[in-house]
Amino acid sequence: MSYAQPSLMPSFTRPESRVAIVRSAGYDRDLAALLFDALREFDLPVTGKKVLLKPNFVEPDPEGIINTHPAVVAAVREAFLRRGAASVRVAEGPGHERDTESIVETIRLREYLGPLQDLFVDLNLDEVHAVDLRTRASRLKRLYFPRTVLEADYIVSLPKLKTHHWAGVTLSLKNMFGIVPGCCYGWPKNVLHWAGIAGSILDINSTVRPDFAIVDGIIGMEGNGPIQGTPKASGVLILGNDAVAVDATCARVMGLAPERIDYLAKAGVLLGHIKPEKIRQLGESIASVITPFAVLPAFQKLIAADGR
Amino acid sequence: MTSGPLHNSYFRDLLITNQNTDGGWGYHPASASSIEATAWALTSLISSRREPPPPDVCARAGDWLLLAQCADGSWPAFPGHPQGCWATSIVARALYLQGGAQKAVESGLHWLINAWPAEGNFWWRLRQSIFPSRVALQDSSLRGWNWTPGTASWVEPTAHALIFLRSLPAPMLSRQAAKRRELAERMLFDRMCPGGGWNSGNPLIYGVAGVPRIGPTAWALMALRDFSERAEVQMSVQWLEGAYGEIHGAASLALANLSLAAYGRPVPPLAPALGEMYSHNRFFANALTIAWAVLALNEEMSGVAPTAEEAATR
Repeated sequence: MSYAQPSLMPSFTRPESRVAIVRSAGYDRDLAALLFDALREFDLPVTGKKVLLKPNFVEPDPEGIINTHPAVVAAVREAFLRRGAASVRVAEGPGHERDTESIVETIRLREYLGPLQDLFVDLNLDEVHAVDLRTRASRLKRLYFPRTVLEADYIVSLPKLKTHHWAGVTLSLKNMFGIVPGCCYGWPKNVLHWAGIAGSILDINSTVRPDFAIVDGIIGMEGNGPIQGTPKASGVLILGNDAVAVDATCARVMGLAPERIDYLAKAGVLLGHIKPEKIRQLGESIASVITPFAVLPAFQKLIAADGR
Repeated sequence: MTSGPLHNSYFRDLLITNQNTDGGWGYHPASASSIEATAWALTSLISSRREPPPPDVCARAGDWLLLAQCADGSWPAFPGHPQGCWATSIVARALYLQGGAQKAVESGLHWLINAWPAEGNFWWRLRQSIFPSRVALQDSSLRGWNWTPGTASWVEPTAHALIFLRSLPAPMLSRQAAKRRELAERMLFDRMCPGGGWNSGNPLIYGVAGVPRIGPTAWALMALRDFSERAEVQMSVQWLEGAYGEIHGAASLALANLSLAAYGRPVPPLAPALGEMYSHNRFFANALTIAWAVLALNEEMSGVAPTAEEAATR
């Protein structure tokens, strides 16, 4: 089980993380082939495993701006199956919209993945188990988590590259809010806000840590994200075996300083790496793909010192 | 299966088939019984007056819900969970409509009337007075109900509580209940999106108008049926009518139908559209969607919130 793995390790004892940046100008490319090749760089222990993809599905948005694009979800699924996974399911628990069916049908997920009833799990309505949290970064001590998540062998966080009006950015760590079940906490999962967003992100990820992360940055969102921002084409997929390192790399691509993003700086202590010297960069360099994202005035302080 | 209309009792029969042996319903077939799913299944089945379910189906559901009630009168999300939650309104109303559980309904009502959202506490108000929010500008003195204890008011749990209160005869409502009802109604109007309709509860973020959603709008409108002449309600009904053609989920479609029918607005035939959607994904076997589809398909149910007079005659 992914949630049973030892996830809390001081940064200095943690091995180097690997993050790859892959260019793709659009969603109409052969993303599965692109990702299959990119995954070759990682020694993925997925053969015969039950893999769970956790995209970021927020609202019924036909434009493909708010949610992880279904083309990316389908491509990741195919790539992991080709890498030997026994099964690859897709699961999400949207934070605001109770009618999950309306989201997956509006974004045409079925057209990309085929029949969904045995492939897609609404984490908001799954059976739940109480789990004691491994850290106390927030006021929470335990949370109910969906059985589908707890029983997965390998979890892949699959967010969109977006700014966020409360947290600064929403990437693979914040995306894990979606595993907290609405059937216990409501829509939105307001208990996480009251317990502290940054602390909740850390507590959830310390307890149910994604094994891998792939960020859809082909078209992201800047400004007043994660719903009402402006589309931002970055033309990249950013992936790696350490969600913290992936998010730190994403922040740098967005022209932001990861060490200034509260929860990401703290995640760099026990959950993964944010320092460049601890992240082995594969594929494209950050400098070659950097695309400064506009941020709300409250988050101007996150902009990297070099002004890019 | 092929697309197209299903026979009238298809979803009702499906719901009955999916009842767990303990008397409850899970959110999905054969999953652990959930308080909310069971309450909605019961509500929809007792509304099937033309084709009532076998008596033991509703009786077992009612018994299961009674056993799951907390000592303080509330209901949690699942049996054994430590705290009551928004499901209390839905269960109490289901049991009231079913009849025969007066004491449980009254204790649920008592809990609900005394359950205040967290934005009302002293420390929160003090903090807001010193550091007012620049993100979401809304009147936090107008309080409704929250999803879970210790959190803020939101549109949907507030609407469920109001629909429950609205279903009760006047003698059951204390002065405090009437005050809370009035405060919560004002809160819903405050949280309406600028162009009409509701989302989960943030009409403006950084000054940008929030986008309404079908579900919250449908629930809020059903909760505000007594205000059908108000401009805000008219505007929201119009928004829902305008958005109707873009609905892609069966739950949203059923709720939109229920809501528009409650305001006497014409709605397209529901059965063919539900049949088409069901052929695509079988509603992901979601018990709530099936229950709301049954509610919306029942000719007898022109709205989920009967007036006090209607309720009193049941």
